Amino acid sequence: MILECKDLDRALRTPELMPDMRAHAERCPACREQLHLWNEISRIAPELHEEWESPRLWTGVRAAMAAEPPPRRLPFWHFGLAAAALAALALLMIQPWTPRGPASQELLTESALAGVERAEAAYAQSIDKLAAVATRSLNESPAPLAAVYREKLQVLDSAIAELKADTAKNQYNTYLRTELASLYRQKQDTLREWLKNAN
Amino acid sequence: MFHRPQASLYVNDADLLAACRRRDPAALEELYLAHNGRLKSIAFHILRNRQDAEDAVQETFVKLYRGIENFQGASHVGTWLCRIVINTAYDLARKRGREPDAPEALDRAAPADRLSLRLALEGALRRVNPRHRMVFLLFEVEGLRHSEIAAILEIPEGTSKAWLFEAKKELKQMLMETRR
Repeated sequence: MILECKDLDRALRTPELMPDMRAHAERCPACREQLHLWNEISRIAPELHEEWESPRLWTGVRAAMAAEPPPRRLPFWHFGLAAAALAALALLMIQPWTPRGPASQELLTESALAGVERAEAAYAQSIDKLAAVATRSLNESPAPLAAVYREKLQVLDSAIAELKADTAKNQYNTYLRTELASLYRQKQDTLREWLKNAN
Repeated sequence: MFHRPQASLYVNDADLLAACRRRDPAALEELYLAHNGRLKSIAFHILRNRQDAEDAVQETFVKLYRGIENFQGASHVGTWLCRIVINTAYDLARKRGREPDAPEALDRAAPADRLSLRLALEGALRRVNPRHRMVFLLFEVEGLRHSEIAAILEIPEGTSKAWLFEAKKELKQMLMETRR
């Protein structure tokens, strides 16, 4: 196959095209330089691994671990209480005396989902409002701290966008929805922290 | 890739983890020795300062100590530690409220053109999209597999591969510009 300069990105993604791209690069100095740099990046990258001696670090870790309070163990009767509460909850949820057909169950699920989606939208909207207030001062601030906050918010926003896309494909997945709520909470906390620090 | 030391006191990872859950100091030290090098490097690339990186690693092991009973062992403990150190380093950078320091201690013995490329790469890496940069660091610098990176960053493996490509593309572009 005869490849041209415009095929470079495609060839870098597709190893099978590389021999043809190399053949083109032999005649094209610009592509030759780009291919060379592409390979150099991977060759030099392991040198960016930072290695240094830290003779006192383990001592510090050990001391910090020793200063931690021992893990709390609940008395055995707490487990009994928890088990009783769970059993009562299960009984309430099953409600054997209430007849319920498959059709009404489906409707219930749909209405529960609609409720969750409404709550999520309201929560996201309130965080968007907070973001509108915080973003202005965040973007205008030359402080190094602002750069750290901007970076964290960027990471959170991209994670939220991805999770929202996953949730849209799998609407009934409660795990995904819990994760999404947790990310929104992190974003809210980050925005609040920034506003607190900025004022 | 995550490796256990050859002279391990424990039969396998599960055995080592069980000992860590019992707060066995020898097991905790073995875990530290196996992972502290990579964790320091990852933290350094976020914080750009060795002392801060060491603080992040210390905090990471304290968090492991606190939460080891809840770690189910579904992923490798190294994956879990990497995830903790990344979050801890970002939190620390935020708490310290300052921009990461200039890079320290470069290998001055490296040939001039190689050194200049390395310096240019380090500089360019700081300007790469943070998500792409993290995948580049874990794959190209720290030698982790895409499956491990996917578990650490909680993203699909395909996304890890795509972000690595984007990181290299951004880096190539920046390095081309510095050469002009």
